[in-house]
Amino acid sequence: MSATADRPFRRVLVANRGEIAVRIIRACHEMGMEAVAVYSDADRMATHVRLADHAVRLGPPPPGESYLRIDAVVDAAVSTGAEAVHPGYGFLSEREAFARAVEDSGLAWVGPPPAAIAALGDKLAARRTAASVKVPCVPGTLEPAPVDRPDEVDAIVRVARDVGYPLLVKAAAGGGGRGMRRVLSPDELPAALLAGSREAASAFGDGSVYLEREIMPARHIEVQLLGDAEGTVVALGERDCSTQRRHQKLIEEAPAPGLSEADRRRLHRMAERLGAAAGLRNAATCEFLYDRDGSFWFLEVNTRLQVEHPVTELVSGVDIVQEQFRIAAGRPLSARVRAAAERAARPTSHAIELRISAEDPARVFAPTPGRITRWKMPAGPGIRVDTAVEAGDRIPAEYDPLIAKLVVLAEDRSGAIERLRRALDEAEVGGIQTTIPFHRAMLDEPGFVDATDLSTTWVDGHWDGPAARLPWARAALLAAGLVSIDDGTRPDVTGVGAGSTPGGGGRPDARSDGGSAAWRVGGRAIAIDRWPA
Amino acid sequence: MSVRRVAGAVTAGGDGRSGPGGETIAGPLPGETPARDVDARAVRATIAAATRLEGDPSMTIEPPPDPTRTLAGREVLPTDEPIVDGEQVAARLERFDDGRVRLTLDDHGEPLSLAIVVGEARADRARGTVVREVVVRGWRIEVEVEPERRALLRERARRGAGAQAHEGPLEVHAIIPGRVVAVSVKPGESVEAGQQLLVVEAMKMQNELRAPREGTIERLGVEAGQTIEVGDLLVVIT
Repeated sequence: MSATADRPFRRVLVANRGEIAVRIIRACHEMGMEAVAVYSDADRMATHVRLADHAVRLGPPPPGESYLRIDAVVDAAVSTGAEAVHPGYGFLSEREAFARAVEDSGLAWVGPPPAAIAALGDKLAARRTAASVKVPCVPGTLEPAPVDRPDEVDAIVRVARDVGYPLLVKAAAGGGGRGMRRVLSPDELPAALLAGSREAASAFGDGSVYLEREIMPARHIEVQLLGDAEGTVVALGERDCSTQRRHQKLIEEAPAPGLSEADRRRLHRMAERLGAAAGLRNAATCEFLYDRDGSFWFLEVNTRLQVEHPVTELVSGVDIVQEQFRIAAGRPLSARVRAAAERAARPTSHAIELRISAEDPARVFAPTPGRITRWKMPAGPGIRVDTAVEAGDRIPAEYDPLIAKLVVLAEDRSGAIERLRRALDEAEVGGIQTTIPFHRAMLDEPGFVDATDLSTTWVDGHWDGPAARLPWARAALLAAGLVSIDDGTRPDVTGVGAGSTPGGGGRPDARSDGGSAAWRVGGRAIAIDRWPA
Repeated sequence: MSVRRVAGAVTAGGDGRSGPGGETIAGPLPGETPARDVDARAVRATIAAATRLEGDPSMTIEPPPDPTRTLAGREVLPTDEPIVDGEQVAARLERFDDGRVRLTLDDHGEPLSLAIVVGEARADRARGTVVREVVVRGWRIEVEVEPERRALLRERARRGAGAQAHEGPLEVHAIIPGRVVAVSVKPGESVEAGQQLLVVEAMKMQNELRAPREGTIERLGVEAGQTIEVGDLLVVIT
């Protein structure tokens, strides 16, 4: 069957930028669909704009004036004749109002239904749904906590005693740690409730907060769900995303190391129950904490494609984005997805993803937007690189610092780690600092390598960037100094301009006076017949 | 909004390095007499301000003393077994095209081979040095290189200038580009070490910039709402 005859839609608008827009455009083209890109003025020359078949400008660089404008994105879809909208992750992907606006315009929304987004986006509502289908939630409250009622302070302090300290004040509408406060004792609680609520109100327009016990140390394990219009919800497998820094994931893998087949079945069934109860369709992810006693605790559901979906794609053999389009077109889950879900508790390969971001691991991961002058990503067996970046690109300061995802597939976890080490040996990025050196260090960290010390707080407690950099700073000094000495003493060069002499490989460095000559082969000077003064 | 703490890049004023522009790495400052006891090819390598961290080292590198000696039957190159801070080290540099080099080091008796990218030399005319971007194991480090003779003269000049040099004004430069969303201090105000000076927004994060030491705000180089680039002067503390 030709791709065109089978295609779910004729034309799709991709409401995102960067690597995820490129990844979705690729799926469109592989399914015979045209892709419409949207862009801000900062992205006029971006890869996703070039790869798409049509592109529509949204506005100036700030997200609020471009990628977050529901009206402009929906207008772009309607005016270009798109039949569906894929939101990617971030930006408008979990906005119920956006999903509704798309559907109200008569277009297909490639994601969970607006009602499910609303129900699961409210973390308190999600906790209540989980509790209703016997999925254990992190111990805490199921209703919003009173924050400004002095008469109810005693009551909430009593509730908090049952929850246990240390506990977390969390925002019902929250995400990314915003509105979150860690509370160590009862006397800190009223102030933390107030502060968390205020931060949540300003970030999300909803100041509802609740209490949750802090489960620590814990691993972050999540389940990839796919559901169709018939109400079938299946788990495609789980991912371990424990290597995080301040609630930002850095490394993700599938499957989660060290789980038994029975653990996996139990986990996958819990996620499926919850998804079905919430009326989930399309793709979503159910997040859990996994404590040292082997218990899973429900955390939240993300009603969108995840950044880390490629590790599940590689291990399950399912193209999740293509499946999203089929589901959005009203088709039932494919036989391939059902078979992959059957096998999900008995994985036979291992995938790991490293997030390469424009951040400096030696300066508390401060952002490093700027011009990329050199860009070489690894290739070869078992390597997948999802990126929208090329040499010469400028990484704008307005958006997420993620610039590439390096994903490997191997027979098992140790093979995947070996493959990542060799892959990072091949990577070259110049012009801006990235998180690559952090990843190199993690691949040598015994607790990560043998998976005995995976926890969401490991990086915050252990990573010392300046110390990790120091030996390589010495190597950098030596290399730069030796290159300068070499330039200053090579017979063919003089003075400062030396370093800008191109090349040096396989080229005779003959001086016009014939007084000396050196051949550089493979970059190495093999003969110098005169020692320069 | 999450908040991170970052330090700005700091350069001490009045250290005698910001001489008249236009000199090159090839020679001493005008009017200086080269020190006779240092190999003319020796260089001083320092981490440049843009990527410098507190406690970063610097290094003096000289070619090996006896160029006629052969190493394992191979001709000795000026970059073989150099003298680093006065001690000969088992290191070797091989150059490939496009700035790629292989640096072989001795790691507890085992050779450690490092693939490194050394960028083209950019002349820093104001400082009379060259700067190269080096990428090693994913770390992007800018290295400033100058002739060792010149570095020694500069140090001598600084010693002569007296001990008050380190009490000079401290310039805080931007290490990240972004937008200044808040300025928390005013000229004339005294600040403690670690006190917030300003907040820079970049990539959805608010980055707090704190005072590297105590002192008085002499001057502000930016105001709230302004867009800044790496290296821009933010604050001068005396």
